[in-house]
Amino acid sequence: MARTLSRRTLLRGVFGGSLVSLALPPLEAMLDSHGEAWADEPGPIRRYGVFFWGNGYAWNTRGRPDRWTPTPGPMGWTPSEQLSPLGPDAAGRTMTDRVSVITGLEPKTAIPASPGGQGDGHMRGVAVALSGDRPRPEGFHHPDHIFALSRPTLDQVIARHPRFYATAPRFRSLELSVSGNRFHDYGTWTAISYNGPESQNLPIRSVDALFDQLFAVRTGDTTDRALLLDAVADDARRLHGLLGANDRQRLDAHLEHVRTLQRELTGSQAACQMPARPARGGGFDGAPGNEPLLDKLDAMARLLALALQCDMTRVFSLMFTGPGSQTVFRDVGATTGLHQLCHDENWELSRRATIYSMRCFRRLLDILAATPDVGGGSVLDNTVLLGTSEFSAGDVHEVGNFPVLLAGGGSGALRPGTHIHLPDGNLARVHLTIQQALGLGVDTFGFNGGETRESVAQVLR
Amino acid sequence: MVKTLSRSIALLVALSGCDGVVGDRPAPAHVATAAPPAAVPDAGTSHPPAVLPPFAPAGVVLATLTGTQYRNAVADLLGSGLPEIALEPDTNPYLFTAIGAARSTAAERTVRAWEAAAHRATEATFAVPERRVALVGCTPTAPDAPCVRAYFGRFLRRAWRRPASAEELDRFVGLSRRLGAANVWTGLRYATAAALQSPSFLYRVELGAPVAGAAGRRRYTGYEMASRLAFTLWNSVPDEALLDAAARGALDRDDTLRTEARRLLRNPRARSAVRAFFVQYLGLGGLDGLARDPTLYPDVTPALTASMREEVERLVEDVVFTHDGDFRAVFSGASTFLDARLAGLYGLDMPPGAEGFARVELPSNSGRGSLLTTAAILAVTAHPNATSPTARGRYVRERLLCERVPDPPMNVPLNLEAGDSGVMPTLRDRLERHRRDPACAGCHSRTDPVGLGFEDFDAVGRRRTMEAGRPVDARGDLDGVAFVGARALGEILARDPRVAACVVRQVYRFATARLETESEARVLADLEERFAARNYRFLELLVELVASEGFRTVADGGR
Repeated sequence: MARTLSRRTLLRGVFGGSLVSLALPPLEAMLDSHGEAWADEPGPIRRYGVFFWGNGYAWNTRGRPDRWTPTPGPMGWTPSEQLSPLGPDAAGRTMTDRVSVITGLEPKTAIPASPGGQGDGHMRGVAVALSGDRPRPEGFHHPDHIFALSRPTLDQVIARHPRFYATAPRFRSLELSVSGNRFHDYGTWTAISYNGPESQNLPIRSVDALFDQLFAVRTGDTTDRALLLDAVADDARRLHGLLGANDRQRLDAHLEHVRTLQRELTGSQAACQMPARPARGGGFDGAPGNEPLLDKLDAMARLLALALQCDMTRVFSLMFTGPGSQTVFRDVGATTGLHQLCHDENWELSRRATIYSMRCFRRLLDILAATPDVGGGSVLDNTVLLGTSEFSAGDVHEVGNFPVLLAGGGSGALRPGTHIHLPDGNLARVHLTIQQALGLGVDTFGFNGGETRESVAQVLR
Repeated sequence: MVKTLSRSIALLVALSGCDGVVGDRPAPAHVATAAPPAAVPDAGTSHPPAVLPPFAPAGVVLATLTGTQYRNAVADLLGSGLPEIALEPDTNPYLFTAIGAARSTAAERTVRAWEAAAHRATEATFAVPERRVALVGCTPTAPDAPCVRAYFGRFLRRAWRRPASAEELDRFVGLSRRLGAANVWTGLRYATAAALQSPSFLYRVELGAPVAGAAGRRRYTGYEMASRLAFTLWNSVPDEALLDAAARGALDRDDTLRTEARRLLRNPRARSAVRAFFVQYLGLGGLDGLARDPTLYPDVTPALTASMREEVERLVEDVVFTHDGDFRAVFSGASTFLDARLAGLYGLDMPPGAEGFARVELPSNSGRGSLLTTAAILAVTAHPNATSPTARGRYVRERLLCERVPDPPMNVPLNLEAGDSGVMPTLRDRLERHRRDPACAGCHSRTDPVGLGFEDFDAVGRRRTMEAGRPVDARGDLDGVAFVGARALGEILARDPRVAACVVRQVYRFATARLETESEARVLADLEERFAARNYRFLELLVELVASEGFRTVADGGR
């Protein structure tokens, strides 16, 4: 017990008219001990977001033409076929000046020789793209149904960085998923945000649930609901001293979630522009993997933009389609899931699915760009948004020439509208660049052979 | 049989290209792997090899309740007919949700869902006067009426699988008084909702107590054993009788422990727990949202895939419970359970007047026979648009024989293109290349010959006689034993000792919520022997499992 409390600060809080003790989760403790520059300076809001799609893109394997890499152009770059949705729309508005494309990168994390097969697979792609590290070896055997990330994903590294949040946000991060497909029945392949090994941030999967979480007015007994969570915390403390280190961490994380919930139940809701509940909210939740993807993405992105605008959170990840996506892209004429199409080398449908995914990415960008930010500019202007996948060529599980789209202005830290080709470059440079753009004071990133001190300076101001 | 097996072992040893299979020991949990021994040497006899290390118990496992356990527990505690409980999906590493619950950290959305569910369920219960009086056992006139304390004593013991301490009872009575100032029932409801959010409810806290003279080993207490028995055999909390048995020490002794286990297995809850085991073991979760190309398989609907799953569950339940017979009959039986949908898919007639599911005899010319020819198994082992002899062979090797087939090497072409001859090759022709290429042959020569024996069934389990315009060729080979068609393979598997050993290993994982450790090899070998000695009756395997030292003891010193 003493060990538990020594790591924590006690906060005296008032609930229901009586004083109760609350153990602070680590995040708050860190934030409270910080609080110099960020806390008092009304500096620009900086946000980080991820747009993830599964199975990579249709790359130039087997002698096919390269339809991904852009060419130089007047508005920064001229889109290739698969990036064409980022170019001029019907009204002539382009996104090429607000997105940088980085090509040629690949993960440099070493691949252990044993057990075999660790260089391959969706899981390595997701791990290197989103955490910068390789996954644990145990996960590679498909039928084990494991998704064995070895460390937090970058969104959580950022969200928990002491220099990121000056004050605790309503939500440390938001996780959303659009397509309800999952990879076979592998229950662990349903999230792309991790706090650490086997600690997932499960995404909100429906428009209704997203609306409820962000905007539903809490009524009635919320104070009492919060109060009884103290009894829960008391029991957790009793248990804590009986457990081994790993289980203590699990219980601590659970308790942290309880605290988050308690804070939400008692806190006043920020004065946000309250949107109407999307009329078709429930209509998108039919057969998983068969949703009208663009419409659902649109509805979720609009709610997300409002949440960002009123500063409910500054970190989000949007899993458009999941790793090893089995999403059926009906809108482009597919009747089989993308994973199968790739492995069947259905080049035409794979291309169309990539283009469709880029249309959806474009829609997210349009919505963020159309949302004015409180301090001026748009929400997109003050966001660093990474668009990526787990492969380049899904058909051969290729990770060379990894897809990297860096969108947004990063509150002036990013120089968008650039195409840089960095042949054989280290993918971790992107992760380092993102952290630098967010002003985290980080000068090295990467793991297990992927370490780098070199950002992609061309996209930074 | 013995001869066949030794030949098969020799063949496996020769396949050095497919590494990490033969003779592997179960790995320690921290380098967890699904690789069990491919075949116990001399498996034809029942003596475990002398080389097994001495038994030592594995470390503490702290599992949360799985979604099913949570729902069952709430229904058992508060009564059935409550609003549907929305939870996040379970994870299923190493096939089992219990293992996911023991390894995963509860996600924020899960904690939110638990909070919401506790309130929804208690609100529904306390809103109905008859329900709340039945639950609490009285109509309390004041928040500190004696019957309130008695209620929490009773409720917490069952919900938490241990008696609450006096201090804890004080806290819950106090909470109920504080929140029930305006209305006694409201306070009771809140305190009940708090109990359902307590880690003592949500986690299976099973830590063991020291055993005199057994250093390094702790024995689960009576209440902890009640929890373990109930969650393993019922997927729910214990009933009062089991907790009473724990209190009087009946779960500390072999004979009375077995008696209690048998009592639990006679309860209908055990049927759903055993069904749940087989659904997870056999991977039938893959039927939920099964991806099938509608232009090729227009009749695949959620209703059909639900029927597929139900067929397997009924088949298993019939063998395990109705007949309490030899488990291996699951593979070699000549009847199954169909509804009109499945009968249509199978091209079989339902018995006259049958409604819903009914037992259907499988004529030998139907090509069907029990588990391996169920649409469920055939569908979860196929691609969305084609069969996959590789996946089906791998399924037999990994799921049913507990062998390990390595994943493909890096950057190999994962597709099989059509040939240049202009004639559309059959899948068998295309896979032939995999077995010719040495880089692929090591593994494909172990999977494909088995899986090709399923080629008489398509990707949704429909019987077929033609593929790519030619008569279907369903010749298969399992370790040198030739067969034609999946029905024949089922008969071979029913006699293969690896199948029984494999199900022992898998149910042990299901029950312990973890992978077995190297130092538990003797426990598994002993269970295999006992399973055989009891004529492969699955319920007896469960009784022996919960009575085994592996299930009853835990290593000292956390994990």
